[in-house]
Amino acid sequence: MKRHWWKILGALLIAYALIAGLLIPLNTGILDIHPDNALLGEKINVQINAYNAHFDEANEIQVWLKLDSVHFLNGTDIKVQSNTEMTANFDLPSIGLANNRTSQSATLIVDNEIDGYALLPGALQISANKDSLALKSTAVWSNQLGQLHKNEKLTFPYRNILYETIRNLFYHVPLWFAMLIIFFISMIYSILYLRSKEKRHDHAAYALTQVGILYGILGLITGAIWAKWTWGAWWSFDVKQNMSAVAMLIYLAYMVLRSSFEDYEREARISSVYNIFAFTTLIPLLFVIPRLYDSLHPGNGGNPGFGGEDLDHTMRMVFYPAIIGFTLLGIWLANLSYRYLKLKETWIDRD
Amino acid sequence: MEILRQVRTLVTKEFLLEWRSKYALGGILLYVLSTVFIVYNGFIRVSPPTWNVLFWIISLFTSVNAVTKSFSSENGQRQLYYYSLMNPTAVIFSKVIYNSLLLILLNVLTYFVFGIIAGDPVRDKGLFFLAIFLGSIGMAVTFTFISAIANKARNASTLIAILGFPLIIPILVSLIKISANALGVITDTAVTQDVMTLLAIDAILLALAYILFPFLWRD
Repeated sequence: MKRHWWKILGALLIAYALIAGLLIPLNTGILDIHPDNALLGEKINVQINAYNAHFDEANEIQVWLKLDSVHFLNGTDIKVQSNTEMTANFDLPSIGLANNRTSQSATLIVDNEIDGYALLPGALQISANKDSLALKSTAVWSNQLGQLHKNEKLTFPYRNILYETIRNLFYHVPLWFAMLIIFFISMIYSILYLRSKEKRHDHAAYALTQVGILYGILGLITGAIWAKWTWGAWWSFDVKQNMSAVAMLIYLAYMVLRSSFEDYEREARISSVYNIFAFTTLIPLLFVIPRLYDSLHPGNGGNPGFGGEDLDHTMRMVFYPAIIGFTLLGIWLANLSYRYLKLKETWIDRD
Repeated sequence: MEILRQVRTLVTKEFLLEWRSKYALGGILLYVLSTVFIVYNGFIRVSPPTWNVLFWIISLFTSVNAVTKSFSSENGQRQLYYYSLMNPTAVIFSKVIYNSLLLILLNVLTYFVFGIIAGDPVRDKGLFFLAIFLGSIGMAVTFTFISAIANKARNASTLIAILGFPLIIPILVSLIKISANALGVITDTAVTQDVMTLLAIDAILLALAYILFPFLWRD
């Protein structure tokens, strides 16, 4: 049992990533509000649609509009229609936009004691024009926000566009991380083989490459599914998507290369050389070229990377174990394939 | 330096061989001309973005055709003879140098022929020739190395395409971007960075060829 602790650890971490990653609910978020624009000085009644909220059960619901750090407006006449829908009135003051601006967007803040607070930046576009000058409102901005509640429950951050797909971060990204780690170990074994000419090193490199390809294909599939629901298409000609597909072609070529030799020694030696060459081109392919082009991926082409607010502590708690779990599972898979190769060599290719 | 002398001898030998068997060089020159002409007939009016991509596609296929014969044209015994006389590193370097020079020549030729027939949209000539220079070296290194690998296997000609095309993509992608700058299709303030990237890729591939070839040639 002592020798297998890492396999158990890998399986446990994957189970944890699946259970925690799929079961922990999303934080409360605001989907949209209607209307989403208003004139300064207008009295408006807005319909608020929220996600994962408990308005029906909550007692202390507050709604705020935030124009900037010193202009807040409390919503009145809150009418709850269901757990996720309600209406509120806002009596917009006649002045308040930053100097010389004719239009400014305000953030909507919804708060209650069960869900904590939720924000929707840019929820309401407030404009000033000659119509708004005619509206004489007596309302004034408040210079501070009321007491907000904080959600103490375990939740994942709510992000517009991403919604529930934010959970894919625990599967899609760790698969790529694990693939890179596995290809890297495979390259190390190829170097070892070239130095030692021991068959077991080549078997290990071969087995690890097989798992790396499997992970790469799974990474492409999970990425395509994620892209479908956030970018709108399975394949959006994103440079990182394309380069990942090319990376898979490079490693599939390794498989073809392995099968085109007659004697084993030559096969092992030349595919080891190719494996080292292939891993080295993988680095510019996945990390340099995507930076030269615009990409939809976070962290490329000027997009912010996952991090800061998006990757909060709850997500890190699942994300990092998932990377370790997928890597260990990959090494386990490679270990099985390695043992198969060794047995095949001993019992089938013996003569 | 012994190795430099060997490289010089081998490069001279490559040129001499090429010159004596003129059909190979003639064949590849004719290949460039006919490809350019086919492409031109297909498109007739070529807009600069298309010109850019077509040029590098033609260049890619010319390179494959010109470089892949570097190992297959000489039989095993003759190669063994070289290895017994010379340092194997000198063999790969001489082939890389020869192929780089050949590709630079062919790409410049493609540029002139394509420019005469389909129009020459290149604005920044210096940058474009730099792209040709770096691109030729990158393609020469990659395809020479791949042809050394594939030559050891059974279906060499298929393997060269399978192994070489995905590996050439990082070079091709950055080349297309640099020359798009030279054509004025896009303006990128960070073009020096792209050139440095390409230079780095070339250097890495060359270093790899140097490190790995000693494991490759011996049978």
